[in-house]
Amino acid sequence: MRRDRSLLLMVVPAILLLLVFNYVPLFGVVTAFQEYDPIVGVWHSDWVGLEQFQRLFADSLFWESLKNTLYLSFVQLILFFPIPIALALLLNSLLSQRLRNFVQSVVYLPHFFSWVLAIALFQQMLGGAGVLNQFLRSHDLGTWDVMTDPHAFALLITSQTIWKEAGWGIIVFLAALATINTDLYEAAAVDGAGRWRRLRHITLPGLRGVIMLMLVLRLGNALTVGFEQFLIQRDAVGHDAADVLDTFSFYYGIATGNYSYGAAAGLFKSVISLLLIWGANKLAHTFGEDGLYRQ
Amino acid sequence: MATDFTRRRFISVAATLAGATAIAPLVSACGSGAQKTTGANSESGLRAVLPAYAPSTQITPDLPSVSGAADIATEPGFLTYPANPVVTVPDVAGRGGTYTAVTPLWGTIPPAGNAFYQAMNKALGVNLTIKPADGTNYNTIVPTMTAAKKLPDWIQLPSWWDPNFNVGELAGTQLADLTPYLAGDKIKKYPNLAAIPTGAWRAGAWNDKLYGIPSFSSGFSLTGLVYYRRDIFDAKGITAGQVKSADDLMNLGKELTDAKNGVWAFDDVWTYTFAAWGVPYKWRVDSGKLVHKYETPEFLAALDWHYQLAHAGYVHPDALAGDKENANTRFYAGKALIQGGGTSGFSLADYQSGTAANGNYRRGAFDVIAADGKSTPRLFLGNSTGILSYLNSNLKPDQIEELLAVANYLAAPYGSAEYTMVNFGVEGTHYTRQDGVPTATDAGKKEVQAQTYPFLASPPQVISNPGADVVTKDWTSWQAANLKTVYKPVFWNMNISMPQAQATADAAQAVEDSIKDCYHGKKKVSDVRDAIATWKSSGGDRLTGWMTDNVLNKYGTGQ
Repeated sequence: MRRDRSLLLMVVPAILLLLVFNYVPLFGVVTAFQEYDPIVGVWHSDWVGLEQFQRLFADSLFWESLKNTLYLSFVQLILFFPIPIALALLLNSLLSQRLRNFVQSVVYLPHFFSWVLAIALFQQMLGGAGVLNQFLRSHDLGTWDVMTDPHAFALLITSQTIWKEAGWGIIVFLAALATINTDLYEAAAVDGAGRWRRLRHITLPGLRGVIMLMLVLRLGNALTVGFEQFLIQRDAVGHDAADVLDTFSFYYGIATGNYSYGAAAGLFKSVISLLLIWGANKLAHTFGEDGLYRQ
Repeated sequence: MATDFTRRRFISVAATLAGATAIAPLVSACGSGAQKTTGANSESGLRAVLPAYAPSTQITPDLPSVSGAADIATEPGFLTYPANPVVTVPDVAGRGGTYTAVTPLWGTIPPAGNAFYQAMNKALGVNLTIKPADGTNYNTIVPTMTAAKKLPDWIQLPSWWDPNFNVGELAGTQLADLTPYLAGDKIKKYPNLAAIPTGAWRAGAWNDKLYGIPSFSSGFSLTGLVYYRRDIFDAKGITAGQVKSADDLMNLGKELTDAKNGVWAFDDVWTYTFAAWGVPYKWRVDSGKLVHKYETPEFLAALDWHYQLAHAGYVHPDALAGDKENANTRFYAGKALIQGGGTSGFSLADYQSGTAANGNYRRGAFDVIAADGKSTPRLFLGNSTGILSYLNSNLKPDQIEELLAVANYLAAPYGSAEYTMVNFGVEGTHYTRQDGVPTATDAGKKEVQAQTYPFLASPPQVISNPGADVVTKDWTSWQAANLKTVYKPVFWNMNISMPQAQATADAAQAVEDSIKDCYHGKKKVSDVRDAIATWKSSGGDRLTGWMTDNVLNKYGTGQ
């Protein structure tokens, strides 16, 4: 305790922020059990027990959006998750530091664009009046408006996410790669291990802990696939395809003044997320990995 | 909400503000804990308190207003700005009181305590601190103030957000009742406020009492118009006056669409065209029975036409992708030739943007049509205003009187000395006269042009586009030509505060989502019919019953 005093002092501001912005607002979940009216306030709103949840579970749109969330999350897990790892490995294998920095900056950049901009770019390229379709039209070929096709939506948003976030996602993997002892590579190379063998027996095992951690976090966030991206494209593909739990809470809760209904949907999401992250962490421990923390 | 004035499309709302204010359902959800009244006004009770109307005659418009049926009149047009502005408020309005006001602003917030604010305080005789808040998030900013019971002395509450603000509940608890100061002839103490038409005061009345002070009121407020590129139509030899039916419009779609060259006939029009099928704004009364528009066959017929339009490929793909923000860019560039939009389409700003893109640019609007080409064309009138400011109920009577005197100054008629001050600032500092037209200097653009004071009170709308008389003439003549088609819809200008369950059914988010998907060609009309059936059983029928019992039977239709 005494030894760690200065360290503990250093985390105090962070803990305070966490308390004020994360723990205190948790109190607001009580509105999920009320017919909350912002004017009379939390203390004077009527208690309705589980009525909001009964309505929620009877709402087909809610189940639709849960289904969409899980489906989109699954597609992103399969298609998006491996890409930053592959990118990090590729970058790591570049010898020229200058080239590496350049590539790194280029792939980081889209992360700083807003979704509005990213989607506008996609619209200009793939939209019904975009580059692709005008090209097809001018050659009298059939057109495909990718941006408004509900069936292609999962692939569309995943490719948007890859375009925008894959570069940013490599940071943590690059850091992990930097911690691998380079002596191991030299020793393996001396023993005659080729590029692939080194990758399989040194690099990937070295990354395993981080990959597992990211996977656990990703699973815990399975119900959070994003908000703005869906909000902006909701009109394009229709709410059947684009509504996820977060947009559901927004449109059917907050936007129509049904704060309690939105809170109930949000609380449901949080409870499931907690179970998911707990389960994934448990699984990681079973496989002898650290997961979120070391056992 | 039924129209496009949803919280996620604030920008289009902001654009609409420039012109006549849009229709918005004056519906507010009343809470569980507080008063359980409907907030609606009874005709007899309200008539007893409505301020006496005394129109201003000090400044004569170049193109005078034309009156139609009761409460309906076109907006007067001005081709020149009065050279010697008339003074309408001879004495200093205030007595040096200190107040704070909050207004929404869609744009860059002017620096606090700037020269314009100081000059205004001097002219008004008060120490009024204006705190403009971001218009885009305004609907989330205000509830935090009401929840903490910390409203400023004077606040603007746009009526399309009534459900978010619960104005019906705030009236009388946190907002001051202005009836004792403004009812009947009492308003004569404030002649510029008395020149605001009665309809606008109705829009700010709750429970037979006056609360809201109207801005931008109009006897000709419409949701919007169906516009076309008049210059391009002229060049192609197409006369818009020949369009008399929905079929004619569809044929135009075929004629004008040239996808290979990136030109589509239509942008989004639904919100502005469905009335042609005889669909009511929201409700209508069929032989004594209240019917929601979703339940009318005309509604489905209108949707079907729009579905066909999208499927025929006559609508610009970006519009189908839900991109409204660039609708005007497409229109200016001649990529979409017919668009729907708020009445602010006929404005100086539009003229400047349009002619910057194309020197020949001219905006036209189709006359109101009946879809079948045979029935009498009819278009519902919007509420007289959606911009209402309220005073805090904590103010003492003499403070309320002082602020009403300030409101009287702010509501001075177009072209008066006060109007010039409020809208252009100090001559030499904020504007200079160029060819008689007050033109903003850089300081004026920064401090004055981002409108703040007019959101507390302003005179009735006039049409004036200095430097673009063609716009003023086009818009005034459209109003005069279509005056006879405009009618007051059921529950016109009525404020209704309903329980949350009814407010949810009234917003009908799921149905509205399906409708949008349908006119974008992604959902069939039968899907919308299913969504409507679900809506009816899950609250829609109860809403109709509630409206019948609590509003129609008690207070009538407001027509």
